Amino acid sequence: MADTEITFKIDDHELTVAPGTLVIEAARRKGIGIPSFCYYPGLALQAACRMCLVEVEKAPKLQTACTLVAMNGMVVRTDTPPVHQARKSMLEFLLSNHPLDCPVCDKGGECELQDMTFRYGAEHSRFVEEKLHTPEVKWSNLVYYDAPRCILCFRCVRVCDEGMNVKALGVGQRGVHSVIIPNQEDHLECEECGMCIDICPVGALTSGTYRYRTRPWEMAYVSTVCAHCSNGCKTTLSVRNHEILRANNRDLSGFNNEFLCVKGRFGFDFTRHPDRLRLPMLRRNGKLQPSTWEEALEEVAARLARAREQNGPDAVGFYGSNHTTNEENYLLARIARAAIGTNNVDHHRTADYAGLVTALSKSAGDASSGTIFATMRDLAAAPAFLLIGNDATVQNPLVAWQIRTAMRLHGARLYVVDSRNIKLKRQAKLSLAVAPGKEGAAIAELANGSWSSAEAQALGAALASESDLTVLFGAALYGAALGHLAKLAEARSAEGKRTRFMALGDYANSRGAADMGLLPDRLPGYASIEDAQARELYAKLWGAPISAKPGLTAREMLDGAIAGRVKALYVVGANPAKTLGLAGADRLGKLDLLVVHDLFLSETAQLADVVLPALSAYEKDGTMTNTAGEIQLVRKGGDFMGPRSDFDILRILSHQLARHGVGQAIRLRTPEAAFDEIRQQVAGYDVSWASLLTGAAEPSSPLVVLNGHAPRDFAPGTILSADDSLFTSGSLTRYCNMIQSLREAEAQP
Amino acid sequence: MELPPALEKKFQTLLDRYPIKRSALVPMALYGQDAFGFVSEDLIAEIARRLDLNTLQVRETLEYYSMIRFKPVGKYHVQVCTNVSCMLRGANAVYEFIQKKLEIGHKEVSADGMFSLEEVECIGACTGAPAMQVNYDYYEGLTPPRVNQLLDQLDKERTPPVSAPISRAIHERHPAEVPVISRLFGVPDSHKLEVYLKNDGYKGLAHAIELSPEQIVDEVKKSNLRGRGGAGFSTGMKWSFVPKESAKPKYILCNADESEPGTCKDRPLLELAPHQVLEGMVIAGRAVGAHRGYIYIRGEYRYVLDIVDAAIEEAYAGGYLGKNILGSGFDFDLSTHSGAGAYECGEESALMESLEGKRGYPRIRPPFPAVVGLYGSPTVINNVETLSSVPAILRQGAEWYAGLGSAKNGGTRLFCISGHVNRPGIYELPMGFNLKRMIEEVAGGVLDGKKLKAVIPGGSSCPLLKAEEIDIPMDFDSLAKAGSMLGSGGVVVIDETTCMVDLARRIMHFYAHESCGWCIPCREGTSWIRKMLDRFHGGGGRSEDIPLLGELAQNMLGKTFCPLGDAAAMPTISIVKKWRHEFEEHLTGRCPYQPADVLAAAR
Repeated sequence: MADTEITFKIDDHELTVAPGTLVIEAARRKGIGIPSFCYYPGLALQAACRMCLVEVEKAPKLQTACTLVAMNGMVVRTDTPPVHQARKSMLEFLLSNHPLDCPVCDKGGECELQDMTFRYGAEHSRFVEEKLHTPEVKWSNLVYYDAPRCILCFRCVRVCDEGMNVKALGVGQRGVHSVIIPNQEDHLECEECGMCIDICPVGALTSGTYRYRTRPWEMAYVSTVCAHCSNGCKTTLSVRNHEILRANNRDLSGFNNEFLCVKGRFGFDFTRHPDRLRLPMLRRNGKLQPSTWEEALEEVAARLARAREQNGPDAVGFYGSNHTTNEENYLLARIARAAIGTNNVDHHRTADYAGLVTALSKSAGDASSGTIFATMRDLAAAPAFLLIGNDATVQNPLVAWQIRTAMRLHGARLYVVDSRNIKLKRQAKLSLAVAPGKEGAAIAELANGSWSSAEAQALGAALASESDLTVLFGAALYGAALGHLAKLAEARSAEGKRTRFMALGDYANSRGAADMGLLPDRLPGYASIEDAQARELYAKLWGAPISAKPGLTAREMLDGAIAGRVKALYVVGANPAKTLGLAGADRLGKLDLLVVHDLFLSETAQLADVVLPALSAYEKDGTMTNTAGEIQLVRKGGDFMGPRSDFDILRILSHQLARHGVGQAIRLRTPEAAFDEIRQQVAGYDVSWASLLTGAAEPSSPLVVLNGHAPRDFAPGTILSADDSLFTSGSLTRYCNMIQSLREAEAQP
Repeated sequence: MELPPALEKKFQTLLDRYPIKRSALVPMALYGQDAFGFVSEDLIAEIARRLDLNTLQVRETLEYYSMIRFKPVGKYHVQVCTNVSCMLRGANAVYEFIQKKLEIGHKEVSADGMFSLEEVECIGACTGAPAMQVNYDYYEGLTPPRVNQLLDQLDKERTPPVSAPISRAIHERHPAEVPVISRLFGVPDSHKLEVYLKNDGYKGLAHAIELSPEQIVDEVKKSNLRGRGGAGFSTGMKWSFVPKESAKPKYILCNADESEPGTCKDRPLLELAPHQVLEGMVIAGRAVGAHRGYIYIRGEYRYVLDIVDAAIEEAYAGGYLGKNILGSGFDFDLSTHSGAGAYECGEESALMESLEGKRGYPRIRPPFPAVVGLYGSPTVINNVETLSSVPAILRQGAEWYAGLGSAKNGGTRLFCISGHVNRPGIYELPMGFNLKRMIEEVAGGVLDGKKLKAVIPGGSSCPLLKAEEIDIPMDFDSLAKAGSMLGSGGVVVIDETTCMVDLARRIMHFYAHESCGWCIPCREGTSWIRKMLDRFHGGGGRSEDIPLLGELAQNMLGKTFCPLGDAAAMPTISIVKKWRHEFEEHLTGRCPYQPADVLAAAR
């Protein structure tokens, strides 16, 4: 029988660990520092830097703690003269060819080599020979390599290969001339994620956005959530004088640990794009003219009130955002439903979260909430995945990273159903190619066990052998097709097999928009608009009756605007004109009033009567909910003079509307106050505030207990992914100069 | 990319040879280079395509190997060895002469494209030193006049006859010699199956087939055969570590990456008695239950590779390889694999990485190759000489073999005696043979009656012995007791006229060149010490450098990933310690042994 635990000694501490634990890990967990460069948790072991040499009783020579597996009775010493001498000599060797240009090196002040030299090294150098030198090379607009600074720990090579499955970096030459080489001879072609830069312990790899711009100690660090895709990666903004100079996750906060994709790491420069709107604009004499906040907000309130009075509440529509915070969405839903009195509220839906919640709610009686929705953290340790209709590598980069991690570290299996030849198919155990739009039919086959092809049957058999399956799906599955997923889950559950789900949307708060009720037929927390009890709750809370009549969908609102049924349209942080191909038209249909909140003069904003300049997600506080339904704090990093947060705009608007006799003024002065109300009132959002404050992601539990509705089917196009590339996220990345400059970004269709 | 038909065929053969395509990478590149003169971007792309790799994977692998060239060289690529044995016999003068004559330097090509020149590390012709290769052909016993003549002939596009006999492997037997594995040296056509069979060939295998695998292992254990690659580990023990049951196929590897400076025994063993190695491998396969073997031959030994390939073909035809060998029901397949210039690949785990088509970086151990080796499978890896000794053990018995040597050191050994001796050569002597007798009697004493200063007892990785330390039996245990190593059997004799600082410098040049770059202490340490010794020998020495040299070497010793760091540190430490006065003499700014104008420039 193998031992279930191992007891051994490091210095004077007795440690008990699981079998297979590396000494370096055991030591670090105990707070005993063993230095290392090449050892990096989760990546292949190297034993190359020799910094972690320790003494082991009865071993003839020093051993590397990074490859040494703890054994019963082992006695390890990390604090002896030979160990100190070994560390000192490794550093002396390393520094022999190191340029020591620390005063100008980007890494100065946050360099692992500096820190280790300070802690373990010698105070003077004995190297008097000529140092090797090769000039710095630019591999891409984002990645620069300075070979002399490189200590050859191979972290970058491993993270690119093992972590990203890109294999864009390798080792060239040999011996002391060894260098890291990029895949295209003299330049790099890759996903430009920048993992290599941030994982570099020294200043060998530097980024095009940050290099030589500042010193690390001149900046403040703000931990927030990435503004781009729906995965909700934690990113730490490095801010100097209100300007964001860098984004990374070197503090390993959040479920993404060190991971960020190109957008998360480099897509922040839109905040200082010269086209950024600073002043509200009003259309006068057919042209948008700069105005003041007072004038603009009064105009919006007056004209909304008039439209409502003249044409009734349902002549007004609200088109919400995938990028605004939960609190902002909640306010928008309240203004629409309570102040104006219409259910015409929707947003660009990129995944059928409501459908998933509804489909699974049917069986919610016996499944405890939370067990059927996978969290991002769950993914990294899940044993099997079924990925349907989503190119996660591109559309949901963290999800793909987590899947790869599970495959690499835990031998997880991936099954793919997709019409495209997506990159993850390379690592899939089985892939089923389906015709575009036939994803739902394929899932029906899986649920019903009736096979149209041998491949589908093989997939069914393989999935049946998985006792714990995580199903991930994109926009291709919605409405009634989700019923098949529920059926599959029920059947598996009857056989004692676990099934977890995650719907994959497109944008930073796609999930939050749905959760907060920016849907024509759902209140916050997915309660059906037909649910009198839920209506009653919000009517009381918001001080006005809620209509039981489902509103117009996003597309119906736009169609209504064109047809003249909708007279006023209020757009927050969205660009429907582009989606509908109306860019360049004089007006958006026959609207009397078009109001747009945006950072830039988008295609839609260009058609507006009033444009209200908004702050970006990096410039405000609040919460967002990722595609897995996990709530996280968004914190103000940068700032920008002129614009206001959507929260402030909507809150002030509610006061203006109240002055015009429309609804009640919203008394929630801060996003924190609004979230407090959300926590108390919105189903599934009763999460720990304290926990959010620590930076944790709190899973919401949005199961609708009383419902009984089958997932509603929609007109095609209601759920529509923008199919963003790795280098785009809607209109935002157009203003990310660095990302725009990448050759890979150009190559995208 | 369109390939010449012969190359196309070669590529196909290579693809069929391995369970994993990538293994064909380095041989493909080398054969491609032979056809086109260098490895072009197109060839890289073609190899990548055929092996399902990206071009970066191909490029990064190839950049590791020193024989792979990314630019064209001359029609005649002249590679002059200046490593220890050759240096002692005048290689620097030869190299300088060639530089002047061809008016080109290291890695340069003559204007007419006829010649290119490269100063290379040990090419395994130590006992024929000084030596060079022109393309793959060996020329030994060089002097400036002889080189002059050779180059003139080449310039007229006439290929001068290559050197024979091979590094003085064939010579009149010294009475002290006990020819066991070298018994065929000098027999005409000894590489042919027919000749081998006439000389008891494959009789060991025939006997092995009658034994159970356990009995074979026991026999080899009893013979006290110890690894001839240098470590001296019991061969029988090594075989016994291979698990009996294995879900994965097991492998027998023959390490023919001979590169230890001063060592040139595997080359004649493969060239003159290839069937002996094959027989040893089949027996090893039978002993551990392996059915596949590879002989990893260093890239420089191309002509040897062709000889071994031919022998393998003969052995298949004769029923000594392939299915149902000698009617026993035992199957064994065997092929060669070519390296491409990397000393590190002689380290067993690096060799496996290399054979898998990757950069020859050593692997983390445990697990050891006997359990997780080539392609993650149980693997036995033995040196050419070790495997060559196996047939005689099976044929004539373990006791007989053990009795040839000294206690716990069974059998005989090929000693390559090079440097300052009157009769350099490869001699087969019993284990435990006295080193002093070896030099004085067998090799005819120190060259030109000069006084002995130092001896490298087993390849340049060993701590050096002083003249007064050589009255010692040459076996693993005695050498260890004397603070050195028996190593690979390369005995390099150094006379009184040799500058030990220069020798240390040249040795460190080798290790710095061959350090794979994986771990910090070896990568940076060898380079630092090399630069220091260049400066020191060139007249820029400071008194504090002398203790620093020792300290730096000590900081490498025992701390590197693989033994290469130790191999670089040990001779350095011994030279600084034993010949410290020579370092002190250099503090005057000049080398007492060589006039300033012949100081070899730092490379």
